[in-house]
Amino acid sequence: MGSGGNDPFTPEGFGGCVKGGEGMSEGNVQEGFGVFEVFVQKTQADFHTHVGSVVAPSPDVALMNARENFLRRDLGVNLWVVPRQCVTATPYDSEGDWFAREFDRKYREAGGYPENGRLWKMYKEKVLQLEEIVEDLHGKGDKNNESASS
Amino acid sequence: MNREEKETRFIERIKAGMKIEATDWMPDTYRKLLLKLIHMHGISEIMGALPEKEWVPKAPTLKRKLAIMAKVQDEMGHGQLLLRVAEDLAEPFGRTREDLVADVIHGRVKFHNVFHMEAPTWADAGVIGWLVDGAAIINQAALLHTSYGPYARVLKRICAEESFHMQHGESIILALAGGTDAQRKMLQDSLNRWWESLLFFFGPMEVTESAQQMIDYGIRTKTNEELRQQFFSKYVPRIRSLGLTIPDPNLSYNETTKRWSWTLPDWEKFRKIVRDNQGPKSQERLNLRRFAHEEQAWVREAMIRSRLKGSVVV
Amino acid sequence: MNQLSRGMDISDPIYQKALKDLLFQLADDELCIGHRDSEWLGLAPDIEEDVAFSSIAQDEVGHATFYYERLAEIGEQDSDTLAFGRGSHERRNACLTERENGDWAYSIVRHFFYDTFDALRLEALAKSSYPPLAEGVAKIQREERYHLLHMHLWFVRLCLAGGEARKRMETAIWKVWPDISGLFSWGAWEEELLQRQVIHTSSLVLQQQWEERIRPVFAEAGIEWIEAMPEPVKKGRLGDHFPELNHLLGELSSVYALDPAARW
Repeated sequence: MGSGGNDPFTPEGFGGCVKGGEGMSEGNVQEGFGVFEVFVQKTQADFHTHVGSVVAPSPDVALMNARENFLRRDLGVNLWVVPRQCVTATPYDSEGDWFAREFDRKYREAGGYPENGRLWKMYKEKVLQLEEIVEDLHGKGDKNNESASS
Repeated sequence: MNREEKETRFIERIKAGMKIEATDWMPDTYRKLLLKLIHMHGISEIMGALPEKEWVPKAPTLKRKLAIMAKVQDEMGHGQLLLRVAEDLAEPFGRTREDLVADVIHGRVKFHNVFHMEAPTWADAGVIGWLVDGAAIINQAALLHTSYGPYARVLKRICAEESFHMQHGESIILALAGGTDAQRKMLQDSLNRWWESLLFFFGPMEVTESAQQMIDYGIRTKTNEELRQQFFSKYVPRIRSLGLTIPDPNLSYNETTKRWSWTLPDWEKFRKIVRDNQGPKSQERLNLRRFAHEEQAWVREAMIRSRLKGSVVV
Repeated sequence: MNQLSRGMDISDPIYQKALKDLLFQLADDELCIGHRDSEWLGLAPDIEEDVAFSSIAQDEVGHATFYYERLAEIGEQDSDTLAFGRGSHERRNACLTERENGDWAYSIVRHFFYDTFDALRLEALAKSSYPPLAEGVAKIQREERYHLLHMHLWFVRLCLAGGEARKRMETAIWKVWPDISGLFSWGAWEEELLQRQVIHTSSLVLQQQWEERIRPVFAEAGIEWIEAMPEPVKKGRLGDHFPELNHLLGELSSVYALDPAARW
């Protein structure tokens, strides 16, 4: 983050990321509040997840208010607020679809190899499951490994 | 693609059960219908905080005080979520939060009839939580499958929080129903006060042109009367089980048609309340909103002016 | 079972009286400020802030509930009776917390000064000889940190904004100032509380610590320090209050008073 002017995580940089941030006429509320997308991290075993947005005059106020607007019931360990202008997104309804999956991709999924089970049977063995390994290492119902074993 | 092709494709997507997003192309009528609906919904949450807010300082136990504070906070929080959705829809018109909130003060957006009414006793705090929220929950749950993605997402969260509101309201009225004669009378009086407003809340019997358009666009999927009928089915037996009398001698369930018949309140009276802000508490509550928004514009302006001066927290 | 640490003897009538008086100060302070905060519901300057401020109000009333419950535990009436059923002369809150909200600037100034004081008071209680208090204080401290961050941010920003906000903040500071010294009093039993190590800081030191914390924030906010801090006009910790408290209590208990014996 060499060029401070474009660093969205400092108050100075924020001005560059939000319309009306610099040289704004005194007290122009219309131009002044920006939209901040809010991301919540529930536990340190989870990634940050987008939950909604707030409008705020600055990133620190956005962060302060995001806590109560999105975490007044649920617990969390970390919050991000990101000026909306700084998010680059795919379109939903476009000519070239980003998310087309037309042909079989079973070869890259665990469920794509049903014949292994049958073959192992010939050797009087079973398919080895990841869940089994995780369970051996961490015990049943280990929260941190739910995503690893699913 | 020309406009007509775009519109055809848009309708196809809705028919296929796909969701529309803020950045998608959408017909003007779709945008305007949605904006009107969600703007009114959001503003109603914010105005709806006010009648219950009157009972926050007076709640009779510490637990009730905490619960009603949390409830009013949720209403404001729902207003926040909904206004964010409305703001994104209003962006092409160059309109922001400032405008959308100011609109109610200047009569450019309406809020639901129930929030124009008086809440003179503690029982009203209970009945609002129980029946007004009950009616609102039916309305909102019916919208969960709306074709507009951002609306569907915030409704999911709102409905989850409403389940606490239901318990909160029921807890207050169950204490009153099982209490002294004076408490029971307080509850009955409150029910009498709210009944007609609750019926009006669901909207007119007939399917208006804009209601039909919203159904065609998949914004909503049920008619007003279907929702009102569901409200009767869920709540009338419970109200009666508490020994309360519903102030409508004609209210009855027809086993063969499987429908409730009910007495139409003075519709024009309620229509005026909403249209002209002429309910018993309309002006008082609009003045509170004017205070919060216009008279405190200096606070928002100050926070913008000083935002580059020293970051205190982060 | 002897869970009592050194200096604590709840059967000692003086220990008990002093402890109860202290718990009433804590409970009444938090209830009053929480009640005042809650009057902002639906009326804050922006919607997001409305939601945030409301959480602070709930925290304060939650803390009051904790202190009233500790009183009920040692022979006082139940927490609701203590919160709703006592007259103004029985209340031990500092007068600052009973004052009406005024404008947003007043509410922020009052709250920031109060939260700074409360943080110091909690530090003075953290090693209290009364274990239930020390344990609760550790939890309360964690919630109060966010309040202080929040109020600090608002205090500095509104002062630095210039214009109308700056004027309003200066007016608010002058209005709050005469009520500040009333915060630091430990009431009628300070000596006994110190001797028995229920508290670990005298009112005099508490005041010095408060000034040490507030001075740099004034500098940060570009506000000139006010040297003189007048004695309080009314000593809230001794049950002497302004009419504002009577109004507050009248509203607070208006439903409860309809029938204090009823289940609400």
